Amino acid sequence: MRFSRWPVLATERRTAPTAASALDELLSRRIVFVAGKGGTGKSTIAAAIALLAANRGKQVLAIEVEPKGDLATALGWKGTSFKPELAQPGISVVALHPEESFQEYLHTFFKVPRLARATPLAKIFDFIATAVPGPRDMLVVGKVAFEERRRDHRGNSVWDMIIVDCSSSGHVLAQLNAARSMMELVRGGMIRNQVEWIDSVISDSKRTAVALTALPEEMPVVETLELHRDIVKQRGVHVALCVLNRVMQDPLPPASRRIMAEIAGAAEEVGARVPALDGIAADLELAERLHKAGEAQARRLREGVDVPVLEVPLMASRTGLATTRAVAKALVAATPRPQS
Amino acid sequence: MSSIRSRPDHDALETTLVSRLENLEIIVCCGSGGVGKTTVSAAIGLALTQRRNRRVLVLTVDPARRLATALGLKEIGTDPVTVPRARLRRAGIEMEGELVAAMLDMKSTFDRMVTRLAPTRRDAERLLANRFYQGISDSFIGSHEYMAMEALYELHEAGEYDTLIIDTPPSRNALDFLEAPNRLSDFVGARLLSWLSGPSRFGFRAVNLAAAPFLRMADRLLGADVLTEVAEFVADLQKIYGGVQQRARDVYRLLRSSQVGFVVVTTLEPGPFGEAEYFCARLREYRMPLRGVVVNRNWPDSLRDRTALATASALAEDDTLPAWLTQRLGHRVSPDTLHAIGDQWLLLHAIAERDARQLSRLERLGNVEAVRIPLFSEDASELEGLARIAALL
Repeated sequence: MRFSRWPVLATERRTAPTAASALDELLSRRIVFVAGKGGTGKSTIAAAIALLAANRGKQVLAIEVEPKGDLATALGWKGTSFKPELAQPGISVVALHPEESFQEYLHTFFKVPRLARATPLAKIFDFIATAVPGPRDMLVVGKVAFEERRRDHRGNSVWDMIIVDCSSSGHVLAQLNAARSMMELVRGGMIRNQVEWIDSVISDSKRTAVALTALPEEMPVVETLELHRDIVKQRGVHVALCVLNRVMQDPLPPASRRIMAEIAGAAEEVGARVPALDGIAADLELAERLHKAGEAQARRLREGVDVPVLEVPLMASRTGLATTRAVAKALVAATPRPQS
Repeated sequence: MSSIRSRPDHDALETTLVSRLENLEIIVCCGSGGVGKTTVSAAIGLALTQRRNRRVLVLTVDPARRLATALGLKEIGTDPVTVPRARLRRAGIEMEGELVAAMLDMKSTFDRMVTRLAPTRRDAERLLANRFYQGISDSFIGSHEYMAMEALYELHEAGEYDTLIIDTPPSRNALDFLEAPNRLSDFVGARLLSWLSGPSRFGFRAVNLAAAPFLRMADRLLGADVLTEVAEFVADLQKIYGGVQQRARDVYRLLRSSQVGFVVVTTLEPGPFGEAEYFCARLREYRMPLRGVVVNRNWPDSLRDRTALATASALAEDDTLPAWLTQRLGHRVSPDTLHAIGDQWLLLHAIAERDARQLSRLERLGNVEAVRIPLFSEDASELEGLARIAALL
């Protein structure tokens, strides 16, 4: 296996990116899109990456593309807002809103005063954004690129890193592609330069990377492989790594199996001290079969994507800051540092 | 499972899900992505054809791979494929009826709709050739969902099958299709459009003055040709508005009729479950008949056993246990091994408890009969697995 969870010899490191260097690499990017099938834990993983970046002293903007509040929740923040709010030290969270982004855009570049909602302009925008392919997706990448370029009064970057909790897999490609599609539609006009600029930011593998998320199950793995292929082939955006979430650890290693068999065969008083052990054994057998099925899928993922796969173990909790912290820890644990 | 029934004509506690579905002409399976919706639709189809002599079409949206795998077919295209009886027999499935599978062809559904509704052939051709048309037909919100319903309507009208089963498209919001008919008619019919395109239909130069500042700016932004094209497109779209609105009303009426039943599929994961709860509520709001809930991937109840919990906790935490067992078994028992056994089970226990809390929320929702499908250790990717699920329905 090329990318293992275990420390890799220094000589091997030179030829293949290890999981450790992949996480470092990801955290060195200015823009990280976290993309994957719905239900794979995208928001939690995006939040965990934000925590890791903030731990390294970075000012992070975490952007939620679908304003459901999942990313904010994962960062221990209630609700979600269209203005960046400081959710954790070093991490601001913001929900994307096409209309707000559009107005911000008009205001910034064309000095158009911000307008109240439900004005004709907003309505027209709504219509065009609905009817014409691109603008809505365009505003997602446009906003990201714009935030990347945001500078404070001293001319320093406001954000060291922008993490985007993307829409579900089907839509991500359209978003990453938005600038390019727009370039085909808009052949003239002032917007053209900006679209080209946005596309160059997204395509720049030194600045921008994608982190994929997957689960060790058949369809999520198949879809992740497809998404990976499409992002790389169609779009040429750099995919840095893949996070395989909710991986069940081997529940019945030989030692566990042996001891349970021994207790089952021992005198009655032994069994009486640990009643219902046979039920526990049966439950763990089911878990063992799930583990095996998951391993096969994980293998398929590893063989299919040529990026490091970082495993996050199955946890009982799904949301909240504590879960995010545990996931962040697991990401680091999955990426052992090479011994110096 | 306890349930509260709102319709006294259904003796729900005595009936299976499939017996409640068997006289329906359309079954819509909804739920968020990744809950096994497609597998459940296929299993319902299988159960119906196993028990009754019926011709059942299971429809899925692109990609159709999941349905193909579940039915043991190599590939499913937009042309219906019958699941070969011999293959079913090899999997130990005897079947009364006929099971057919197909992928929804949404793009051609949209094209057909435009062609049918446009007043003249030239109008239709101009619309279909417009470069915004491609975008609108596959990117406007709710269009996939609406087209799924439109295609369903067409198939129902054609009457070739006794039952149509469809799983809703995996959408950002599993509810989009309920609103899709409205969205589409709002979209095409918005007064804004007439305001934008103006009465003369000659593009923006003829529109009213209120739009002028915007249009001047839009021209600078996009280039004039883009807006002119949008205006032409809008004007053409308006011509089919009446027809779209009428069809949306018909689709709505069909979805509310007694020939139709909705089945909500969910797991007990917080995300999908939240959507399912919301979905059930919305179906009631839209007065669309919810006939059942399928809760997929249930951990076994043995994970909530009190005695097992006490034992697992002892294995995980009781420091005297390793020494005691070492003495009784006559060789060294590693505390780590015992802890690992206990911890593993406790993790699964915690998940099972979390799921049980979710399940109690579903019962509070009332009005629904829920079928619980156990967590199978392999995906029901073969016909045998599908038959196992079908038997539970």
